Amino acid sequence: MSETTAPAALKHFTLPIGPLHVALEEPMYFKLDLDGERVRGVDITAGHVHRGMEALASRRNFFQNVVLTERVCSLCSNSHPFTYCMAVENLAGIEIPLRGQYLRVMAEEIKRIASHLFNVAIMAHVIGYKSLFMHGMQVREIVQDIKETIFGNRMDLAAICLGGVKYDIDSNLLEYADSNLRRTAAHVQELIDIYRSDTFIGKRTRGVGVITPEDVFRLGLVGPVARSAGVPMDVRRDAPYAVYGNLEFSVITERGGDVHSRAMVRLREVAESIGIVLQILRCMPEGERNARLSAIPAGEAVARTEAPRGELFYYVRADGSDVPLRLKWRVPSYLNWEALAVMMKDCAVADVTLIVNSIDPCISCTER
Amino acid sequence: MQDLFSSLSLAGWALFHLLIFPGGLFALSAGLLFKGLDRKFEARLQRRVGPPVVQPLLDLVKLAGKESMLPETAHRTIFHVAPLLGLVGMAVCAALLPVPGAYGGLPGMGDMLVYFYLLPLPAVALILAGSSSSSPFGALGFSREMTIMFAYEIPLLMVILAVALKVGQGQAAEFSLGAIVAYQLENGQFGLHWALLPAFLAYLAFLPGTMGVPPFDIPEAETEIVEGPLLEYSGASLACFQLAGVLKSIVVLGLGVILFFPGTVPGGAALNVIWFLAKCLLLMCVSLTLVKAACGRFRVEQAFSFYLKYPAGLAALSLILVWVSL
Repeated sequence: MSETTAPAALKHFTLPIGPLHVALEEPMYFKLDLDGERVRGVDITAGHVHRGMEALASRRNFFQNVVLTERVCSLCSNSHPFTYCMAVENLAGIEIPLRGQYLRVMAEEIKRIASHLFNVAIMAHVIGYKSLFMHGMQVREIVQDIKETIFGNRMDLAAICLGGVKYDIDSNLLEYADSNLRRTAAHVQELIDIYRSDTFIGKRTRGVGVITPEDVFRLGLVGPVARSAGVPMDVRRDAPYAVYGNLEFSVITERGGDVHSRAMVRLREVAESIGIVLQILRCMPEGERNARLSAIPAGEAVARTEAPRGELFYYVRADGSDVPLRLKWRVPSYLNWEALAVMMKDCAVADVTLIVNSIDPCISCTER
Repeated sequence: MQDLFSSLSLAGWALFHLLIFPGGLFALSAGLLFKGLDRKFEARLQRRVGPPVVQPLLDLVKLAGKESMLPETAHRTIFHVAPLLGLVGMAVCAALLPVPGAYGGLPGMGDMLVYFYLLPLPAVALILAGSSSSSPFGALGFSREMTIMFAYEIPLLMVILAVALKVGQGQAAEFSLGAIVAYQLENGQFGLHWALLPAFLAYLAFLPGTMGVPPFDIPEAETEIVEGPLLEYSGASLACFQLAGVLKSIVVLGLGVILFFPGTVPGGAALNVIWFLAKCLLLMCVSLTLVKAACGRFRVEQAFSFYLKYPAGLAALSLILVWVSL
C-alpha cells in the first residue's frame, strides 16, 4: 500500500447498521459506506421477517384471513384487517351499517394516535433524549389504556370483522373514551410545543434527511413522509372511505421535508385524530353494527385506506369458493423506504438511525 | 490509632490512601452510592421507579463473574490493557484527592498538574479500546472521543490556570491542591468569588463532557453506534471501564468541590467527610443528573463548537478577571 492510499483506506470503511440494532425496532440491514463520519453510500437488505403471509392467505378462508391480516404488524394491526375486509366487501357488494362504519373509523384513529405517539417518542430516544422519550410513552400509555378498556387488547384490537365490527361501546365507555382523549389532547398539545421549540430536537432534526416535493412524486412516497414535504396526500381526503366523508378533519402538511417536519406532521395528526374520535363519540348513530353476509362471488376487488404510515392497498381475487385465489397488499413502508437512500445521502453517521426512524418503517408489514 | 498510623512507613501511608481513604474503598463505595442515587434521581425526574440504589454494585458483581470475550481480530495486548489503564489512572487520582478538614492530600506537590495529566486517562483508555477492538463502531467511537476530549480539556486547562493564578497571587501559579484549599479556607471560597464564578460555570459544563453523559455521550451513543468502543467488551474488562467511571465521578466532582467550595464545618474529620460528600452529591445532581434528564445528544461537531464557545469563553473570561484583579 502506498503512502497516499493509506489514509484513504483508514478513512473509508463499511459500517453495518442492523439487522439487529438498538435504534431499529425491527430487523433491517443497512450497509453504509463511510468517509469518516459521512455516509457516501447505502445498501439496504431486507427480508429478515418474511413469513410468507400472502401464500398463507390463499390457503385460509375469508374469515381466517381477518385474523391473519391483523397479525401482519402490530402497529398497523387495525389497518390491515380493515382494508382487507373493505376489499372483500367491495367484491361481494356488502354495505356496512352506519354504526359499524363509525366504530371501524374509531378503532382506526385510536390506533393511529398510538402509532404516531410511539414513533415520535422513539425519535427522542434515538437522539438520546430519555426524559422526552418517557414523556411521549407515558402520554401514549393513556391511549393504550383506552384500547385495553374498549377493545380488551393493547395492540391487536380484533375490532374488525367481515361485514362490520366485533365490538360495541355503551354510554359508560363513551364517556370514558371522551374524558381520556381530552386528557391526551392536552398532553399532545404540550408535546407539540416541546417538539417545536426544544433546542436539542431542533439542533438534531432540522435540515436532516431532507426530501423535496419532486422526490415525493418521483419515488411515489406516501403518508406523513409525503405530507412532511408539503404534498397534501391523504386517502381519507382524496378518496373518502367508510365515514371519513362525514367527518371534519384537515390534512396536515409541513414545509421542511426533514426529520423534524415528519415528527411535527405526526404529532399534529395525533391532535387531528383525537378530534376525529371525539366527533365520532358525539355523533355515533344507533342501530345495527353488522351487515348480513352473502356468499363471496368470483371476481376481483381492491380497497385502499390511509394507514398510520400512508396508503395501504389490498387486492383480492376470488373464484367463488371460501378461499381467496390471491390476496395481495402493498404497504406504505415499501414505497417510503426507497426515500431512505435520498435522505441519507451525505448525512452523518449520527443521523442514520434518526432518518430511518423518521419514515416510521414497518418492516414486518413490508416483508410479511 | 495515631500511634499506629505514625508507625507506618511512607509506603504504608501511600498504600492506605490508595486502597482505603480517600482512594480505593472510600472512593469506590461513595462512587457506587452516587451512581445509584443518580439513576434513582433521574428515574424520579422521568416519573419512573428506577433501579434500587445498589444496582451499580450488583451490575459490577455480575460482570465480574462473566467471561471476557476477545474479538478474533482485536489487538490482544492493547485490548486487555486499555480498561486497566483507565482504572489505574483513576485509582491514583482518587488517592490524591484532598478532603478538606479530613485529609490534606500530598503537601508541597503540584498535584493539580498530576490531575490534569491523569484525568484524560479513561478517555485515552476508550480511544485505545476503540482502536484495538477492530470494530467499525469502536473506530467511530474513538474518533468521536478524540474530538470531544480536545474540546473539553481546553476549558479545564483554563479553569485550572485561573485558580492557580489566583492562589499564587500573580507571583507564581500554585498547583498544589492542599495550598488551594488552605487559601480558600482563609480568603473565602472561589465559587462565591466574582472573578472565578465564570470558571466555576465552565467547570460545571466540563463535568457532563468528561463523564460522557447526555448531551455529551457522543462516543458511546447507544442508538447511533451501539456503545462504540465498549461494544466488544464484556465481563471483567467491561467492569473495569465501569469501575473507572465510578472512581472518575468522585474524582471530578471532588475536584470541583476542592477548587470552588472547599469550606469545612466544625466538628471533626468524620463530619467533614460527610460534608464533602454532600457537596459532591449536590454538584452531581446539578451538573450531571439534571443535565442528562433535560437534554438530548449533540452531534459531535455541535458539542465541539459548544465547548469552544461557552465553557472555554467563560474560563478565559475568568482568567482575564483574575489577571485584572491581582
